[in-house]
Amino acid sequence: MAIQVSGITKRFNDFTALDSVELEVKSGELLALLGPSGSGKTTLLRIMAGLESPDGGGLLLNGEEALGLKPRDRQVGFVFQHYALFRHMTVFENVAFGLKVRPRGQRPGASEIKRRVTELLELVQLSPFAGRYPVQLSGGQRQRVALARALAIEPKVLLLDEPFGALDAKVRKELRRWLRKLHDDIHITSVFVTHDQEEALELADRVVVMNQGRIEQIGTPAEVYDHPASAFVYEFLGQVNRFDCTVEGGIARVGDGALAIPTQGGVQGPAVAYVRPHDLGVTPASAGPARISGIHVVGPDARIDIDLAGLTLEAEMDRERLATLGIAAGDRCAIHIDRARVFAR
Amino acid sequence: MVAAADSDGPLAGKGRAVTVRAPVAHFRKPSVLPGFGLTLGFTLSYLSIIVLVPLAALIVRSSGLGWSGFWSAVTTPRVLAAFEVSFGLSFAAALTNAVFGFLVAWVLVRYDFPGKRLVDALVDLPFALPTAVAGIALSALYAPNGWLGKPLNELLGLKVAFTPLGIAIALTFIGLPFVVRTVQPILQDLPPEEEEAAASLGASRLQTFGSVILPAILPALVTGFALSFARGVGEYGSVIFIAGNMPGLTEILPLLIVIKLEQYDYAGAAAVGTAMLGVSFVMLLILNLLQQWMRSRHAR
Repeated sequence: MAIQVSGITKRFNDFTALDSVELEVKSGELLALLGPSGSGKTTLLRIMAGLESPDGGGLLLNGEEALGLKPRDRQVGFVFQHYALFRHMTVFENVAFGLKVRPRGQRPGASEIKRRVTELLELVQLSPFAGRYPVQLSGGQRQRVALARALAIEPKVLLLDEPFGALDAKVRKELRRWLRKLHDDIHITSVFVTHDQEEALELADRVVVMNQGRIEQIGTPAEVYDHPASAFVYEFLGQVNRFDCTVEGGIARVGDGALAIPTQGGVQGPAVAYVRPHDLGVTPASAGPARISGIHVVGPDARIDIDLAGLTLEAEMDRERLATLGIAAGDRCAIHIDRARVFAR
Repeated sequence: MVAAADSDGPLAGKGRAVTVRAPVAHFRKPSVLPGFGLTLGFTLSYLSIIVLVPLAALIVRSSGLGWSGFWSAVTTPRVLAAFEVSFGLSFAAALTNAVFGFLVAWVLVRYDFPGKRLVDALVDLPFALPTAVAGIALSALYAPNGWLGKPLNELLGLKVAFTPLGIAIALTFIGLPFVVRTVQPILQDLPPEEEEAAASLGASRLQTFGSVILPAILPALVTGFALSFARGVGEYGSVIFIAGNMPGLTEILPLLIVIKLEQYDYAGAAAVGTAMLGVSFVMLLILNLLQQWMRSRHAR
């Protein structure tokens, strides 16, 4: 089912959480709402679920006006960051809840409920835990119960609010892969909220980058990473070196001409240039303009701090390349930039 | 104490030639918190001095009657009727409080309205008011010529003062804060996500209330009920003014004890007190076990 958000606006007192947001979620896709805290991504998700009502705008679920519908009538599965499992119910009862509360005519029989719940618990690989209470489960297991519970009502749309936010790094990664695989199997239209750019880029079919209640860019992970539409998107997606510069005739000059970077596009005058650490090349040069102030080895990669006429830059390369260059902290070096993005200031 | 807890740990003495001491049979689980002996000792002596010794004195005093004397003292029709009045009406009042006290707590937690602080403070008044004052006020109000007693009598034919109904009203009055104050904090801490989850799963408000909210606050509600009930059983001051104190009909147990004392029947008074103590203890124990069972269902 497709979701159509048109001109949704939401204010909390003086704070504008959403400022006429336009968005279309395609049927069967896995979409990420990515942004820093306070960017309005969770509010947008809660409006889709009916847990929050907007001050203006429209919302279509599968072509039908949905703002007048109560959450229970929207056929939307919602997964909360902190699971929100019913504490006094077992795993089985939690998953069965959505089926048991149906009106008498639509409620499946006890054996049918048992069959469906058993099937769902198999899907989330929690069959042996059916009789346990939520407090007896780990965070990752609880989140999978929450997912099974949301899927039990056969929702048309699955909405996930920071689903991995409360989990530790390793479990988060596992669960991420697992969710992607699950989505490939059942193809339910899904929207998840995250502030973790790695999570959004790895998991989603399309990423919506949000900032201060507005959408900055919508695109595939490759599009938003390689062709960021704004300075904000560039800065938010991954590590970045930022220079204030002046662009004249396609050349961005940094500082007192210490660095000249070729640019594309029609930007002229004062601007901001962004360079990813892995696009910053370093070559040893005894009379070079820059100095290496530190080298930090992190797993297979090396992070190199460079001092260039008072600017602190960061370069990244693998350890093999570092060994080939044979540079050490304190050496002088030259730097060259393969790729930079310039935005007018 | 800490050393003993260390030495019988699972790894004690492994791989090294140390004297392995036989594990000490533990009365308690090993804990990192110090001062178990001191605090338990203090707790027991304090409880003994404040609670157990006076109660023991009561039982000793009544034991002078002998078993058959005790039995005949507490099974006279007048005493049995007073038992029925005291426990029955306390139970009814506590039940009323459980329902309406919950409602008050719900309104105070869930809604914002002008004068909320004032209403919140009002709830505690029955705690602060001398019970005799409450009793006099209530009996004046509900007397056949009182502000409320008169219309109730004329319109509905309902007599409140000097009937069991009056006693129930007095007990409801003094027991209300117990329910409100025990339920309020639990309701406050209830995460809204669970209700939102229930709503998005298709539950109606009523279903959400019955299957999500009520089970979460039920232990607190039972505590409030038990406190209100216990307070009602022991209440004296507010009841004697509104009750009319007719033996066998509106005479409560505490009053009966006072009457026996005035007649210098100390052993009889002690016997009734002991019987009351026994019944109260058993009922509170049952309520406690009930609560423990409810908690164990989701806090294992």
